Amino acid sequence: MWRFAIQNLVSRPLRSLLALAGLSVAIAGMVGLFSVAEGIDQMVNDTFSRIPGLAIMQTGAPLPLFSRMPAAWGEEIEKIEGVRVVNPEVWKRVNVVEGQRVIAPPRFLFGTSISKRQELKVDVYRDAMTEQGRFLETSDRGKLHAVISQKISEEHDVGVGDTIDLDGDAFKIVGIYHCGQLMLDVSIIVDIDVARRLHRFDADTVCAYYVEPDGTVDSEILAERIRETFRGREIETRSGVVGAIATGHPLIDLLLAVQNWLNGGTRAAATDSTGTEEEPIEVRTADDWAERFDEFSADLNLFLGVMTGIGVVIAVLSIVNTMLMSVTERIIEFGILKANGWSRRDVVMLITCESALIGVAGGICGCLLGLLGTEVVNGTWPDRIQLYASPGLLLFSLAFSAVLGVAGGLYPATWAMRLSPMEAIRRG
Amino acid sequence: MGSEHDARAMIEIADLTKDFAIGPSTVRALRGVTATVPAGCCQFVLGPSGSGKSTLLYLLGALDRPTSGTITVDGRMINELSREEQDQFRRHDVGFVFQSFNLLGNLSALDNILAPFLPVGVTGELRARALELLDRVGLSGRREHRPRELSGGEQQRVAIARALLKQPKLVLADEPTGELDHQTGGEVMGYLRALRQDLGTTIVVVTHDESYIEPGDEILRLRDGLVVAE
Repeated sequence: MWRFAIQNLVSRPLRSLLALAGLSVAIAGMVGLFSVAEGIDQMVNDTFSRIPGLAIMQTGAPLPLFSRMPAAWGEEIEKIEGVRVVNPEVWKRVNVVEGQRVIAPPRFLFGTSISKRQELKVDVYRDAMTEQGRFLETSDRGKLHAVISQKISEEHDVGVGDTIDLDGDAFKIVGIYHCGQLMLDVSIIVDIDVARRLHRFDADTVCAYYVEPDGTVDSEILAERIRETFRGREIETRSGVVGAIATGHPLIDLLLAVQNWLNGGTRAAATDSTGTEEEPIEVRTADDWAERFDEFSADLNLFLGVMTGIGVVIAVLSIVNTMLMSVTERIIEFGILKANGWSRRDVVMLITCESALIGVAGGICGCLLGLLGTEVVNGTWPDRIQLYASPGLLLFSLAFSAVLGVAGGLYPATWAMRLSPMEAIRRG
Repeated sequence: MGSEHDARAMIEIADLTKDFAIGPSTVRALRGVTATVPAGCCQFVLGPSGSGKSTLLYLLGALDRPTSGTITVDGRMINELSREEQDQFRRHDVGFVFQSFNLLGNLSALDNILAPFLPVGVTGELRARALELLDRVGLSGRREHRPRELSGGEQQRVAIARALLKQPKLVLADEPTGELDHQTGGEVMGYLRALRQDLGTTIVVVTHDESYIEPGDEILRLRDGLVVAE
């Protein structure tokens, strides 16, 4: 039966190829669209899996860049039971690198307390150091010394021992790290005091805190203890959080958009749980980020599903059209087969086999095209976007395509099934 | 119809009518045909165009149902068979040979012969029998050829082999020589007769051409849906 079905498709190459092309494009589009969502998911999950601690920021700040907090709060956080290390952070966007204006991908000056950093058991940057140079040490305090990512090193053709000009200040490169992650490889790590000085930050202000728990309590419990400590306090800042600022990085801008989208629910939840008391800070665990992104991804997937649906409808109509034309042309053939003992079910099986073959072949071609497309996009814009077509997405697309093929052949098959063999043969 | 071939009747037709609805009107193709076809004979059905010959043949092959009357083939009343039983009847008990050969263009000569059994699976025994039949119709060297690579006579010989693969009790041939020259038509009829002789199959042939009739053949003449002579 399958061999006969294949022979029937091969005998009408142009029509079969057109149906195959229609379905392949739809499935490739589906793989491509959903690889955007999967790429974001993967990137976010991978990024936050490398940062197992808690991030503390000003309420409403989408990123540490836009957060302002009192430096004195660090000592208070350190005293909370369950906290092992508190690392203060100062972030600043770098506008000009080596005389070139930076738009996208963005570069951030990341000021960190070197001594606190050394106490961290897990440090995403220190643990990603390459063999070139070293991480920041106590001797680098107060000096214009920087650790840069391999991407930045390659982009500006600078290495360890060279200087790199950041917004007019020449930094000596002491080490190069490589996280291999779009959201992490944007940082230029320097001493926190240097970042403060260049950023004209008050000495008593930081952007955010990174807290490494001591492992004696659950992260969620620790997060609540920290919130409880500061509940009802106010943060005075010279300028409020500017949520609408765009960084120029599409993915980070997406994070900002997500943050804005999430804000309504977050605030409402805080009000519900604390009555009239305000939450000056947000404490986020890696799980919080992942959970919130899952919610965002669900909405994104819905949107992508609608987009894909349009292509899918066209593809199904293409299969129905192809199979209907094929059936119309082969009325006599079905009459002969029925005259020779083929049942209605056998005829339906034959046509369904043919359309299923188109579905499977279209699925394979579509998946390969989609996979190739994601590779091309990732290769062409490695610093701007990361698409990811997971094996699960590819398998789902393949199965979906096969189901579409079968569904597309059902109506023509039913039509052929009902043909009277005598009438069919007489037409010949 | 005579009864000198076999005392047993292969086909018994009683008061058979068939109406076709064409638009708002109804055309009566058969108007109460009653006849008997002895087992193992070569039965010719003759008559002008529109006399109901092919309609009768298709009803005998359970390709359609009569409006009224009964058809009994080898003791089975086929007009009362369910759809599934009709399929089984056509697959195992009756073979068709058509005027236009009606081979499947995508399949080789051998696969065309095996086509009736594609849905249920082709066994080694069936394949061996198909090869033997190809040999008997003189096409053993052309088994992988497609219909377009065969002459009209060769295509009809493939169709005969296909009809006989199931070793049917009954072969129904609708103008089997209609698209062939007289000499080739004679050869095709020769193959049909030889196979009937060897296998004891009953053959019903619808034709315009009376020159293929031989002594001992049975004849049924139709005109305007009625039997006019036997």
